[in-house]
Amino acid sequence: MFNKIEVKSTLVDRRLNFACPLFLHPVKTSLSIALFFFLLPNPSFSQACQLSISGHVVDESTNEPLHAVNIYLEESEKGAITGDDGFFTLDALCEGHYHVVVSHIGCETQYLHLTIAQDTVLQLTMDHSSHLLDGVVVTGKTDPNSTQNTQVINEQNITDNANQNLSNILETLSGVSSLKNGSSIAKPVVHGLYGNRMTILNNGIAQSGQQWGNDHSPEIDPLVATRIKVIKSVSALEYPGSNLGGVVLVEPKKIAREPHLHGRATYFFESNGLGNGLNLQLQRYQPNFAWKINGTLKKSGDRRAANYYLNNTGSQEANIALQIEKSFSERLSTDFYFSSFNTDLGVMRGSHIGNLTDLETAFTRKVPFFTEEAFSYAIEAPKQRVHHQLLKAHTKYFLSEDAAFDFTFAAQLNARREFDVRRSGRTEIPALSLRQFTYFAEGKYQQKMQQDWQLKTGIQFNMTDNINVPETGILPLIPDYFAYETGAFLLANKKSEKWLLELGGRYDNVLQKVVTFSSDIPRTLLRYTNNFHNYSLSGGLSFQPLPNLSLAYNIGLATRNPAINELYSAGLHQGVSGIEEGSLGLMNERSLKTTFSINGKLAEHWSLESLFFWQRIEDYIFLNPENETRYTIRGAFPVFRYKQTDARLYGLDVMSHLEFSETLSAKLTYSYLRGDDISKQLPLINMPANNFSANLRYLIPKWKRLENLEFQWTNRYVFEQTHLLDEQDYLPPPEAYYLLGLQLASDWQLPSVRLRIFASIDNLLNTAYRDYLNRQRYFADDLGINGKFGLSVKF
Amino acid sequence: MKQIAFLFAFLFVASLFIACEQDDPDVVNEEEVITTLEYTLSADGMEDVVLRFEDLDGDGGNAPTITGGTLAANTGYTGTIVLLNEQEDPAENITEEIEEEDLEHQFFFQTTVDGLSIGYTDKDANGDPLGLSTSIRTSDAGSGTLTVILRHEPDKKADGVSGGDITNAGGETDIEVSFDIDVQ
Repeated sequence: MFNKIEVKSTLVDRRLNFACPLFLHPVKTSLSIALFFFLLPNPSFSQACQLSISGHVVDESTNEPLHAVNIYLEESEKGAITGDDGFFTLDALCEGHYHVVVSHIGCETQYLHLTIAQDTVLQLTMDHSSHLLDGVVVTGKTDPNSTQNTQVINEQNITDNANQNLSNILETLSGVSSLKNGSSIAKPVVHGLYGNRMTILNNGIAQSGQQWGNDHSPEIDPLVATRIKVIKSVSALEYPGSNLGGVVLVEPKKIAREPHLHGRATYFFESNGLGNGLNLQLQRYQPNFAWKINGTLKKSGDRRAANYYLNNTGSQEANIALQIEKSFSERLSTDFYFSSFNTDLGVMRGSHIGNLTDLETAFTRKVPFFTEEAFSYAIEAPKQRVHHQLLKAHTKYFLSEDAAFDFTFAAQLNARREFDVRRSGRTEIPALSLRQFTYFAEGKYQQKMQQDWQLKTGIQFNMTDNINVPETGILPLIPDYFAYETGAFLLANKKSEKWLLELGGRYDNVLQKVVTFSSDIPRTLLRYTNNFHNYSLSGGLSFQPLPNLSLAYNIGLATRNPAINELYSAGLHQGVSGIEEGSLGLMNERSLKTTFSINGKLAEHWSLESLFFWQRIEDYIFLNPENETRYTIRGAFPVFRYKQTDARLYGLDVMSHLEFSETLSAKLTYSYLRGDDISKQLPLINMPANNFSANLRYLIPKWKRLENLEFQWTNRYVFEQTHLLDEQDYLPPPEAYYLLGLQLASDWQLPSVRLRIFASIDNLLNTAYRDYLNRQRYFADDLGINGKFGLSVKF
Repeated sequence: MKQIAFLFAFLFVASLFIACEQDDPDVVNEEEVITTLEYTLSADGMEDVVLRFEDLDGDGGNAPTITGGTLAANTGYTGTIVLLNEQEDPAENITEEIEEEDLEHQFFFQTTVDGLSIGYTDKDANGDPLGLSTSIRTSDAGSGTLTVILRHEPDKKADGVSGGDITNAGGETDIEVSFDIDVQ
């Protein structure tokens, strides 16, 4: 006799706890464990320690049995591994509570909590659709819920790269690069667009800060996330912010339904910069109430290029995040999220310059000015000190099985202070000090309709209050302003067995109220009010002709209003040795982007994911070098003014995975991108160079107490950016470079704790190179060899 | 559907609270600005020559006024530099800030005038040159430019720097102004 048990409170995936219609969840988790199991009661001979747990593990998308899956019971210290048929058995178990660890190479390890009173059969499915490369899962093709091209980085990959910032972690994805200023200041670039054109969502809330600055990193600790997603197509209309470029979603997962106190501690050390970091996570679920706390401390000193120290490139970070979930009934639940991100970032002393002559002198140096053969943890000016706080409250209410409301309120406070080397003790006074408050309110409604249509609609309101703190003694580069954005969206999709159709529309009204200073003396206040309308439309179709093959096409129209800095910035931008001026008459940018992807298994051991995109942006706003120099007491500076033109970008991201044997596999990725100003027939500046990488991986599923042992040999080749004219930059783009790396990682099951060991060596050959998108390239080489060792304990 | 209507009404009302204007920000007191450089060249029995750069509104805005000068041939001058912030009233003397931080500053002089030579006559606390006081010597008649550069945090011990060669000095340029010079 079989009892099918509805799982409450024991399983990982919370969605089961509620009558949640599996409805417009944009992307699935990379691994989900099946959510039901069968109990075989054995009443007459029920004796202690005679029970068994057996089960069968299959691949979620292919239904094929998965072999070499490690199953471990913490309480009994017993383990099993699935055979070729996907079956496993653990026997001679006593009655009681068990923590079960299910792990498989390349997948995220999952934990179950079971109460065993009878022989138990588990039916487990894992989403191991052979695309779990480097722990990077491209779910775009297997996810039947979306035609969007989405790439995901999972928790294990985030932890294994605990020493990296958000943007550097994202760089492992094809088509994603980083715009940097040194090694610790980096912002993501997706398909050539960044900053004002890109939206970064931290737990569903659009990150609000000074995104316009090329040397402003997103203020997010990636270690709070259990999943980071990048959406490359224009169909993320559900989210506020710009819809022109990609969307990055940093998502803390819902807290596991685990009744005991659990947590994870991760420590890492890296040799370049003598960096140390510690992350601690604690979580607990009590009936209807769950909490999780996550703290990170990181400190690093001066980094080193291949041949010299990069003085004053240290950084430190202290972050904390608190997550609380409360369910009031089957229908109503609320969650709170608070995060605080605090960092000090050193800027290489030798890259701080006064005028164009200094910049030109810097080009002639073999070793940058101010270079000392001495390591230090000290962070002096020039430096950035940034604090970011986020508070979010979200309530979900199910009207029925098929309909639900979501209400979200959020507030953010971003404080950015940048310190320069100044005279007479003013180095202690920031040269730039901005404070931004953001308030956000959202109401969403989603419903399953007839004939497999699903509908989602919502309205959002966002207010930004940006002020310059008057402590600097320097005229601000961007003005004080209020910005009000009111938006509404409607999304619909229809799913059939092989087809998925998606349609969406969005409207935003943006009201800016700006107050700025006149440029002449005596300074007077000037007030401006701007009102912009943004429209977005998107449509997508995906088709799965074979179980292992899917095609997806997506087209999106979007507009973006000019940002405050594009309209009003005024003044000397010392970092780029130019005077930057906004233009009052700018209009909205209008973009049309289309993506086409083919993903699937081409042969038994060969899979391919490819994405082609084409984007046209009319009235593309860019900083145009004007034919004008302006004399100041620091010398003559070129003038750059925000202008509009028509731009076109297109490119290709390809990833291929080859399995030579059970243990040996290779991953090849290639990204190609080209951006042009088509009205002036000029290349666009700051476009990432094409790049190619080839990684070879060797896996051992189990060796003594080590599980999922993997070695990886990584090769990355970045081409020279040749699509640029000499007169478009002070220096021609740097030469092509090649980087070699090694990685090692393994899980280590001890009686009651599970360890993960990860180690790597980046730039193993200590190559001296410079990257086109790193502003530090004008002054110094990029990072030299870096060894990393880390240990993570799950308890 | 009632709920949707309620939701939209709620957010519509919320969006009406948007009539606020930013408060007037304080006018920034640009205390670190150098608006004016005066390089006064004196020789016995002659009227002082004052080379003057003035840019009252700082970077950007209106163009600066630059006044060059005429020097006598084969004559020795003593030169004195004064830096002012004339956005303040009365003008703030920035020269004192440079004197206080003499170890972190050095002036450099570059000229295209044949035979014009400039030497340091002052020293910082370590005995390295500063350049607020100089001696200038002209030779035959000619014309060209004289460029005055102030570097913040130069490496005064680097090769040639104490002799007035800027090549290895490094640091950041706080001032770089050029004057037209006639030697008659």
